[in-house]
Amino acid sequence: MMFESLLQSPFMQDVITLGKPALFNLYFALASIPLGFPFAVLLAVGKASNNRLISLLSRVYIYAFRGSPLFIQLFMCYSMMLALNQPLWKPWGIDHIVLHPLFLGPTVLILNTSAYAAEIFYGAMAAVPRGEIEAALSVGMKPRQIFRSVTWPNMLRLAWPAYTNEMVFLFHATTLIYFTLPVINEQKDLMNKAGELFERDYNVFLHFGVAALYFLSISILIFWVAGMIQRHLNKHITGAKTRLWFKPKYLR
Amino acid sequence: MLESIITFLTQWLGEDTGATLAYISNGKHLAWYASVRFTLITAVAGAGCAVLFGLLGAAMKRSSFLPFKLAGDFYTTIVRGIPDVLFIIFFPLAFEQAVEFLMSRVKCSPEAIAAATQWPPCDAAQWYLGTGHYLTMACISLGIVYGAFAANVIHGAMQAVPRGQLEAAAAYGFTPRQVFWRFQVRQMWIYALPGLSNVWMLLLKATSFLSLLQIPDIVLWADRLGSANYFPIKGLVHPDWRWKYYLVLFVFFILLTLLSECFFAILQARASRGIAIPEGGE
Repeated sequence: MMFESLLQSPFMQDVITLGKPALFNLYFALASIPLGFPFAVLLAVGKASNNRLISLLSRVYIYAFRGSPLFIQLFMCYSMMLALNQPLWKPWGIDHIVLHPLFLGPTVLILNTSAYAAEIFYGAMAAVPRGEIEAALSVGMKPRQIFRSVTWPNMLRLAWPAYTNEMVFLFHATTLIYFTLPVINEQKDLMNKAGELFERDYNVFLHFGVAALYFLSISILIFWVAGMIQRHLNKHITGAKTRLWFKPKYLR
Repeated sequence: MLESIITFLTQWLGEDTGATLAYISNGKHLAWYASVRFTLITAVAGAGCAVLFGLLGAAMKRSSFLPFKLAGDFYTTIVRGIPDVLFIIFFPLAFEQAVEFLMSRVKCSPEAIAAATQWPPCDAAQWYLGTGHYLTMACISLGIVYGAFAANVIHGAMQAVPRGQLEAAAAYGFTPRQVFWRFQVRQMWIYALPGLSNVWMLLLKATSFLSLLQIPDIVLWADRLGSANYFPIKGLVHPDWRWKYYLVLFVFFILLTLLSECFFAILQARASRGIAIPEGGE
């Protein structure tokens, strides 16, 4: 009885209604991390490369995508995809996939987050202890081996706190997708749904408050999971800072 | 005079370039260029608000009075865990409702309030918001969001001021208040500047959200100008050109970032005059 009346309260009703939209935000973030991560590592390696052209191209890419708003990037990519619809996508018969927000949203997010993450990885790569690389050189390791066994693990460990922060930013950035791309039927994210609920009864504190709670709790969840990975990465270091809590670097 | 210049330019540049120049300088395009003011005003005013909120937040975080300290930590943590767009949309709506609530208590009869099914309870309490109102509220909400970021930066920078400097000041007989304002706050800026420049870059990018508040800013104009343009007399003027306009905005924001970087480099050089910072330090 008590439980049922609690379930009927406007707050719980909102929590239930906004559960499915939250999955859309989560989907956008989860879909862009698996591709965004390797692309970022590639860009970081490219930026640190001795090849002038590769280094320049990576630098320009990172600068451009870090220097402009994601909001504009989404608009730009969507309108470019629309312009390419008649000459390319339609004849190839893939226009339904390519122009779908569930495909295009993560694509633009990947382009965006990889630039930010590449900058983080580049910084971490520069901070890899020189002595360890020299030691690897002195035992006759090849550059590829050095990258795999010295640079890569060190870089990942050093970059992890900042990368966690970036993942939370990425999750927050998913709100922008449905402000720019078309909303199809009931495929709505937290902000869409909260806005729709708001237009029904103008209760701004309840609906946006519940949406904010969802964002907050999922952010904390990301920190928690990333913290476990952090502990795993730092297992061999005694006295390392193992707790990664809601105290990220406030920089991006 | 003007006509001869135009004729000369058209002859010199060729018919096509002349037409392009005429197109990109027509009234609607001039309105687009003019709408950059909204972006710049919001960025500057928002940054001012952010520094104010940042100083307030940092002061609260440093406070020895526990409720203040908790409030400061709460503010910086909560804002960090919520997307900035949510705040920028939520704050104006909440503020509007608060004003309308107060107005309804004054202007509406109690019967009307009791019987009301709509918001606001009666028409007299309706507050119609213009671009100016939305612009002000956008500045304040950006200030609140990025103030939380700035508070962390300033808080960290205050800790970074060498203790010896403060002890030396105290040894010369300065009161604690003087030590705080004349030494800690003065010297803090140099440590805070790199972080604040970062916050400024974030804020600059967040100014692209103005169109979400119905402010006719560069993004809204780009969308209007770029959409397929059809006149019954002239036929199709141009197809969907939105990608060109958004490309211009993309480049515009990158240039703005480049400019800000130069500006902050100069500011940093000015702030570090006479202060020795160890190489590779903060």
